[in-house]
Amino acid sequence: MSEPQRGEHWYRRGIRTLQFLSIVLMWVFLGGAIIWMVNLVGAARAQGDAITLSVGISLVAVQVYALVASVLTYVFFGLQRGRRGAEE
Amino acid sequence: MPRWGMVIDLDRCTACGACMAACKVENNVQIVPVDESERGRRMHWLRLLTQTQGSYPNTQIRIVPNLCMMCDNPPCTKVCPVHATYLGEDKLVGQIYPRCIGCRYCMAACPYSVKTFNWSHTEPPPGMDAILNPDVSVRPRGVVEKCTFCYHRLQVAKENARAEDRPVRDTDYQPACVENCPADAMVFGNLDDDLSLVAQLSRSARAKRALEHLGTEPKVYFLERRDAQV
Amino acid sequence: MRRFEPSCTRDEALFRPTEETSRRFYVAVAVLLAVVLFTACMYVRQLIKGLAVTGMMQPVTWGFYIISFVFFIGISHAGTLISAILRITQAEWRRPITRMAEVITAIVLAIGGLHPIIDLGRPDRLMNVFVFGRLQSPLLWDVASISAYFAASTVYLFLPLIPDVALLRERDKKHRWLYEFLSWGWQGTPQQWKVLHRAINIMMIVVVPIAVSVHTVISYIFAMTLQAGWHSTIFGPYFVVGAIFSGIAALFLVMIAFRSAFGLKAYLKPVHFEQLGKLLLAMSVLWGYFTFCEYLTGFYGGEPAEMRSLLYKISGRYALLFWTMIVCNFVVPVAILSFRKLRTIPGILVSSITVLIGMFLERLIIVVPSLENPRMPFPTHFYLPSPTEISLFAGAVALFLLGFMLFAKFFPIISVWEIQEGRELGIAETEQRLSAYLPDEEVARV
Repeated sequence: MSEPQRGEHWYRRGIRTLQFLSIVLMWVFLGGAIIWMVNLVGAARAQGDAITLSVGISLVAVQVYALVASVLTYVFFGLQRGRRGAEE
Repeated sequence: MPRWGMVIDLDRCTACGACMAACKVENNVQIVPVDESERGRRMHWLRLLTQTQGSYPNTQIRIVPNLCMMCDNPPCTKVCPVHATYLGEDKLVGQIYPRCIGCRYCMAACPYSVKTFNWSHTEPPPGMDAILNPDVSVRPRGVVEKCTFCYHRLQVAKENARAEDRPVRDTDYQPACVENCPADAMVFGNLDDDLSLVAQLSRSARAKRALEHLGTEPKVYFLERRDAQV
Repeated sequence: MRRFEPSCTRDEALFRPTEETSRRFYVAVAVLLAVVLFTACMYVRQLIKGLAVTGMMQPVTWGFYIISFVFFIGISHAGTLISAILRITQAEWRRPITRMAEVITAIVLAIGGLHPIIDLGRPDRLMNVFVFGRLQSPLLWDVASISAYFAASTVYLFLPLIPDVALLRERDKKHRWLYEFLSWGWQGTPQQWKVLHRAINIMMIVVVPIAVSVHTVISYIFAMTLQAGWHSTIFGPYFVVGAIFSGIAALFLVMIAFRSAFGLKAYLKPVHFEQLGKLLLAMSVLWGYFTFCEYLTGFYGGEPAEMRSLLYKISGRYALLFWTMIVCNFVVPVAILSFRKLRTIPGILVSSITVLIGMFLERLIIVVPSLENPRMPFPTHFYLPSPTEISLFAGAVALFLLGFMLFAKFFPIISVWEIQEGRELGIAETEQRLSAYLPDEEVARV
């Protein structure tokens, strides 16, 4: 009686972990994008290129990625919280 | 720091093509097979272009050398995504072959059509590999290249000047095309040195630059023919 | 709050493709895979032999690959932009269309984004863009904006997919783990609905400026150079309008294809085609207006380099293609879509096909004639796409179809919960909204 329940429990945990990892992956991408943009602004400074354009575009692009990542995270945790509300 | 420029006297130029050949040999520019060449993939860092002016019966045909104008405000360096073409401290537009990703954006941006691309890579014809210049790299396929004002010769001149503890002089080096012109139509040197021939010629009444209205500030001047009708 | 429960009972037709696989499906997938495989071989051949296998040469250093790039990214505007705009304007007829539109964007962005890489002379040096990149170059603006759009549109596809995935999770035993994973614990509680709606509302607004920026930035690749015929300030809006235009045409083709393949006549009714057809008509007229502005300005100014490339397109070597483009993009769509009698599904099918052909021609006419007319008296050559380039285009189209078919195999191609929401809540909400527009009772009585 407890065996299938235990299997079911590990299955659910596995799924939850994968879902959590997908969110983490997205923030990893965001972090990578930020590092990349900062690198490019630094390179522009070293090469004497116009910095304002680099900084401007980095700010806009990073903001968009951050917004998308935040929305996804909000949905993820919002759904988790909402479901716990139903279980209680 | 000298501002290297060139003046080409179109009255003296006979369009013999010695400059084209000299450049090709000096800079290891790929010799493209006939079928590729006929499809428009011939590679020249310096070309002779045929300009037709006026209409029949008052047509004037001019054959004009076309090489990298080494613009002071280069449109090609603005668009390179990886800083492979750049305006160096000698105010020469450089090309970093190992960095070029071959996107060909600089080729589309250059209004003078001076950049050339390695569409493929063929080995030199038999015997021609013996004349490769060891001072210049051989570019792989997939990268853009162009005239560098024989930058390898400038490097030698700089080292000599440093060894002799003096600044680089206006007459210290000449690109291969200038050196080989049999009509002495090409003059090269420091445009900022008022005593140099190139600076004086560049201020002559006959001196004009190609596509000046675009604001690229090219450093190659052409001395108009004295019988020019335009 | 949302007070309805999406159920699996009424819309069986929408779930059938995910549960039953016909032999036709396998055959189609096999054919498409074969095309994609052949294309991959052609690309490997290009990697080995260099870009000499293409038809490009000097002075035409950009050809089919860049044209396809602009074309595919243009089609991506359909999806997310249409879906977002229709959601913002609360147009009730959007319900069966939004999912297809969003999927188009996601697939086509991925395919389009690959094309600049295919066009590179040294794709092995792609990391240079990340290590040495210059944000001053429009190509890097492209990288930033296309990746931002891809992220935003994928999220915008995923969020409304969650309730449908939850429905599939209840039905399907074979791929249950996949649907469990993707549904993110969805149970349809009121709090969850609130979270989802808020997130969708944020995304639908955010996606619009990103989408507009994508094609504007692509146009800047051309507009920021000094080439005659490219250096034009109208390119930004012109490309965006052209993109939405070609995107709607592609959306129509997808709608018509799925309508017949999956028997969705009850969901994709003539009225949906009517409404979207009016949008296509509007875009056609708008495209015609922008094209007219562009060429009249060039012609009237009479600047020599500009005139050379302009006359080359209008009356020179490219005249046939140019006027075909005008007919395909403006004459045919306006003629068909202006009349209600002709605004039928076959009429729309014809218009959409001609628009897609015309928009591809437009990209071709923007890229190649300017390059074939350099400012200097350069010995010009004429560009003809090589078999490699043509097969890569065919492979891209095959990949698009393949991606769509695989999506439709695993997820409903029409948003089930949105249809059910429309049935149960849409009419009441619309009535409320409409009565709010009408004058108040007290004022009217006086």
